[in-house]
Amino acid sequence: MRRKSYIFFILPALIMILIFVYFPIIQNFYFSFFKMSSYSPTRQFVGLNNYRMIFEDDVFYISLRNNTLYAVISVICQVGFGMLLAIILEGSFIGRKLKVFFRNVYFMPSLLSVTAVGLMFYFIYNPNIGLLNGILERIGLGDLKTAWLGNPKTAIYAVIAMSQWQYTGYIMVLLLVAIQKIPHEQYEAAEIDGANSFKKAIHITIPGIRDMITVCTVITVIGAFKLFTEIYVMTQGGPYNRTQVLGTFMYRAAFAYDEMGYGSAIAVIIFAITFLASLVQIKIVYKGRNN
Amino acid sequence: MRRGLFILIVFAILISTFLVAQQVELKFLHRWPDPINQPFFENVVKDFEALNPDIKVNIQAISNDPFKEKIKIVLGTSEAPDVFFTWPGEFTNRFIRAGRIMDITDALVNTGWIDDFVYSQLEPFMYEGRFYGTPYRIDGKVFMYNRLLFEKAGVDFVPETWEELLAACEKLKKAGITPIFFGNEQPWAISHYIGTLNQKSVPEDVWLKDLDPAKGTWDHPGYVEALKKFVQLIPYFNQFPNAIKHAEARANFFAGKSAMMYVEIVEIPYIYRDAPVEFQENWGMFVFPDTGGPGNQKYLTGYPEGFVISADTKYPEQSLRFLKYLTGREAGRREFAEVGYLNGIKNLFDKDEVDPGTWDAVQLVLEAEAMANWLDSSLHARIWDVYSVQLQMLVDGVTTPEKVMQEVRKAADRVRAEF
Repeated sequence: MRRKSYIFFILPALIMILIFVYFPIIQNFYFSFFKMSSYSPTRQFVGLNNYRMIFEDDVFYISLRNNTLYAVISVICQVGFGMLLAIILEGSFIGRKLKVFFRNVYFMPSLLSVTAVGLMFYFIYNPNIGLLNGILERIGLGDLKTAWLGNPKTAIYAVIAMSQWQYTGYIMVLLLVAIQKIPHEQYEAAEIDGANSFKKAIHITIPGIRDMITVCTVITVIGAFKLFTEIYVMTQGGPYNRTQVLGTFMYRAAFAYDEMGYGSAIAVIIFAITFLASLVQIKIVYKGRNN
Repeated sequence: MRRGLFILIVFAILISTFLVAQQVELKFLHRWPDPINQPFFENVVKDFEALNPDIKVNIQAISNDPFKEKIKIVLGTSEAPDVFFTWPGEFTNRFIRAGRIMDITDALVNTGWIDDFVYSQLEPFMYEGRFYGTPYRIDGKVFMYNRLLFEKAGVDFVPETWEELLAACEKLKKAGITPIFFGNEQPWAISHYIGTLNQKSVPEDVWLKDLDPAKGTWDHPGYVEALKKFVQLIPYFNQFPNAIKHAEARANFFAGKSAMMYVEIVEIPYIYRDAPVEFQENWGMFVFPDTGGPGNQKYLTGYPEGFVISADTKYPEQSLRFLKYLTGREAGRREFAEVGYLNGIKNLFDKDEVDPGTWDAVQLVLEAEAMANWLDSSLHARIWDVYSVQLQMLVDGVTTPEKVMQEVRKAADRVRAEF
């Protein structure tokens, strides 16, 4: 009887999840087989045609490449550089007050709205009045001036750079918390054995926060494939689709060009990619624990 | 006495409750949520409600680009606005085909309402012989120029032909002046150039057929010629056009950073709001030069914008009343006074009531042989998607006119196959 009563506590949440998470996913999957628009009551079954069209669309491959590029750079910068910062800030190189100061300074950007940061960087990158070109001019590197968001060679990197500025501090804090959980005795033992700071980081700190590094990596990779706001605010996918990512590619198909079925098919692909990334995360974490 | 007062109060409450119960609420959606236009709409609605106590109008506003996306979604729901903004042409026609916009032909024709309008400004709201909307602001595209910079560079003529335009640009460039400011971050800006050049470079019957998504083949060589002409202008633009917004380009032009800019006449109010006095006293305009192509050279690029009624409205009679007021004479005069736009009502102003610049610009629209719709809103969304991307590439010099049209033809073929 007592065991059964748990159901009443679980049921409301379960119903909500079924209605607001699983049902829309299934419905989206169903819509991906239709040609339909948002304002017309008619829809036409097209089978796998939407998926065929996606794989024939050059913009899909540009989007996929950009998401992957974003994921790779984010893992290197946010997780790699974030880890380095965490180790430095938890080490004995700097004083306590400075540690607190830098922790806050690095973490603060992640508290800002992505839209606001996007607009700020939009102005920083402006070719005529932007801060970046202004600095380059002042330090004698005027030849490097460009339209950072309007140049197809630099636009996607300019957006990615903004995200690194914003989120490296966030990942750093997650890793910092993990480092603080490592028993101090391990470091004391290593010191007695004559280990220097570098060796302590390699042999104690990094293995000690391996789970958290995995989690951070997966958060970053999944985040990279869910990317939308940064692109929407700063470039809207331009110039000529060179900064499209799967999120904006889907939005453009569904809302700018009324291809709701096509948009749903893109959403299914995004779902598949992020779902796979989550499975890999779960597997790695479990494997790590079993070892 | 007390009893009498009590009965009177109860009676008054009953009457007001009855009136409130009789009042209908209209949802009204426009695309100007800025601090200049928004108060104007609020004032118009207030006046309308005072004249029509049985109607309450709820205003919603979404800015230009998000509006294009959101209107498509909201029209498919039960929350569709009763009266809403639209661009006539294919942007509106697809909603008409899907049965989302109310046919107002009978109301226009049977009541003589149609006679209030300049017909050329109402005609764009016609689809397959029926009217679906009324004009809120008339518009056309012209080259605006800075007389001081023309003088400085020794340009003593106003270009009337394509060759003269290029000659003026060359002289300006040699004098160290950027000839034309162009902001194409949002590629509707280039659509105005290419729409004009297409119309002038292609025979009219071919051009009109190609704008129809069910028939357009886009294989006339005039389209490539139009792009080649545009390419001739690229060296005379500012740096990085694809990274600059149209509004930023306009601000630079007003500040004397270039001698010319291709602008809409609805941008004239910005001169008196934003430009330095020196510019306000020294600007002029001319129509797009004669290209010598087989298209009609007397056309003016530009189209009115207006309002339509949702086919699903529960209150068609009240919506019509509001539409008539919103795009009518009284609101039109107020519209010009408060936001500087002119609607499509005949003889709205006398010459001495408006500034000379606006008067000349409006005469250009009213006297044009016909209007050529904006390219982006006259094309099927998927053709424009390809066209806009290709045009941005053309500005950067990474593709050729021939390749642009190849891609446009492919997109048109795909769309045509679906009709």
